[in-house]
Amino acid sequence: MYNHSGTTRFGFVLLIGCLLTLAAVYVSLTNGAFDMTLAEVVKTLLRINPDPSHDLVIFEFRLPRIVIAMLVGFGLGVVGAVVQGLMRNGLADPGILGINAGAGAAIVVFMFFFQGSIQGTGWFAIMAKPLFGLAGGLSAAALIYLFAWNRGKLDPQRLILVGIAIGSGFGAVSLFLSLKMKPNDFEMATVWLTGSIWDANWTYIVAMLPWLIILLPIMMWKAHLLDLFQLEENSVKSLGVATEKEKSILLLCCIGVVSACVSVSGNISFVGLIAPHITKRLVGIRHRYVLPISGVMGMLLVVASDFISKTVFQPVELPVGIVISIIGVPYFIYLLRRGRK
Amino acid sequence: MRRVKGIGSLLLWGSPLIMVSILIASILFGAKNLPMSTVWDALFHFDPENVDHQIVIHSRLPRAIGALLIGAFLAVSGALMQGMTRNYLASPSIMGVSDGSAFAITICMVFMPESNSAMEMILFSMIGSLIGVAVVFSLATLVPGGMSPVNMAVIGLITGTFLSGVSAGLASYFQISQDVSFWYNARMHLMTPELVKVAIPFGIVGLILAVAISKSVTVLSLGEDISKGLGQRTVLVKVIATLAVVILTGISVALAGKIAFVGLVIPHITRFLVGIDYRRIVPAAGVLGAIFLGLSDVLSRFLNYPFETPIGVVTSLVGVPFFLYLIRKRGGGKHV
Repeated sequence: MYNHSGTTRFGFVLLIGCLLTLAAVYVSLTNGAFDMTLAEVVKTLLRINPDPSHDLVIFEFRLPRIVIAMLVGFGLGVVGAVVQGLMRNGLADPGILGINAGAGAAIVVFMFFFQGSIQGTGWFAIMAKPLFGLAGGLSAAALIYLFAWNRGKLDPQRLILVGIAIGSGFGAVSLFLSLKMKPNDFEMATVWLTGSIWDANWTYIVAMLPWLIILLPIMMWKAHLLDLFQLEENSVKSLGVATEKEKSILLLCCIGVVSACVSVSGNISFVGLIAPHITKRLVGIRHRYVLPISGVMGMLLVVASDFISKTVFQPVELPVGIVISIIGVPYFIYLLRRGRK
Repeated sequence: MRRVKGIGSLLLWGSPLIMVSILIASILFGAKNLPMSTVWDALFHFDPENVDHQIVIHSRLPRAIGALLIGAFLAVSGALMQGMTRNYLASPSIMGVSDGSAFAITICMVFMPESNSAMEMILFSMIGSLIGVAVVFSLATLVPGGMSPVNMAVIGLITGTFLSGVSAGLASYFQISQDVSFWYNARMHLMTPELVKVAIPFGIVGLILAVAISKSVTVLSLGEDISKGLGQRTVLVKVIATLAVVILTGISVALAGKIAFVGLVIPHITRFLVGIDYRRIVPAAGVLGAIFLGLSDVLSRFLNYPFETPIGVVTSLVGVPFFLYLIRKRGGGKHV
């Protein structure tokens, strides 16, 4: 069962992935509107002769943004792999579950009704928006569950379709409100809806961390089940797996992680779709290996794209979600073509 | 059941009457309600000095006609797509065709802001829907099982997200997001007589193609093998049907932006009423689509009076529950 060469390959890919991510982090830390040298960055991080302006750039602007990019990328990458495994559909993506749309609609509602009324920089003022997003994501998930649940079973295909339907419903709500907004608010809402991490801060990180810390290990722990789910439903049952229960647990974990990610960074689409495909080409289809690597790939994708989004088009910042889709989709099509040959 | 069919045929035979009454309602009601006599005068004794006459001729009338036309175009596109792909979820909005159009129009607005004549918009929009269709179908042939309802819906969604993401990116880079968003979400009130006049010839071409191909689509909807066995040139049929879809969807988006769900919902209702023969489905879907969108347009003025609601929101009110019902009934696997 435990193929030696598989493990070595896994370790190798993991190492390379992490190194590449570190490189991307280094580049994003040192480059930007205010260039810094490596020595300055290291000194600032290690608190040797701290310079207040370096402190400001590193700790208030760049580092939180990078950390959020990493967390979101990792979360979405893992969730993407789990969702594709659960649905037995290589085209599934966390966005397809309609959760993003729900969270998006909730945020638009928030921006429309409360944007002006909550002031200050207290904990509540900062957290109000992500909390709304979380509530929206969870209620979308609940609705989807309600409609997809059929005679005590969760049919993957139906789940995808219900997700699309609910997603377009929430899309209509966002549309209705967003067209009534003031142009500035609208600009902010679209940037948010297309996925962006520009207003990163440490509070967001603290808010999303518990979800990831609790839910990701559960998914990793259940990874071997995803291999079994690739079999026929009946074979899985005869192996003694409580399919419906396990599916629900995994799905609930996905919903939690996606809602947490969406609530801080908006709809970053395509990470969860592409990362698992890249991963499966590298380490094969065993989910025990796929999940962590997919997470690392997601991390790499988001950190690199975020760097591109904030530097290449200066002075304008493109939403990171758009950068990812511009890079990712052609690559995805290429993957599909190769997979077919 | 029989009673439902009865209502159906009543609806179809009575459709000219219904359409005329929608037309009248659409002209009479709005932010300013106009009396019947003013409308009559505006139509037959037009006085350019009179503001009410101007409203009737330059805003209300084109808008009402536009809504009917767009409804018909979208419903016919949807019916053709569903028959051609044997996929009960096929429709211009779900399959990313409308997003393709919107994408092309965004590019046009960003890079050529001065060129916004009706003709150019329509041409760009058609090129865009062609791109959308091409991407979706080529992806669907690349992916194993790509033609199944679920996978095609997913591919359409991915393509749509991608195209609208790029559009949104361009728009926000050039800081015209809300303009662009208004452009393709809430355009009914911007309908002008010129736009409608330019659109009608294209629409007639599209509709003629659709009706001409409908017999072959019926055969195709029985399955590719049967169609080939009966000596049909399936590729040719598909190309013509796709052409009709591209033309019809292209015009609709150029006229009024993205309007979801008409192309999904109406063909199903039509099939329920008139059976599975596309020679009857295509025209009937056109009629019902026109009625549906005409009514939605009138409704869109009253939901949030005196403000207008984007018409896409109104159609979603009907469309989302219907979509959920379809899923509940059909599940993921079966074909039309």
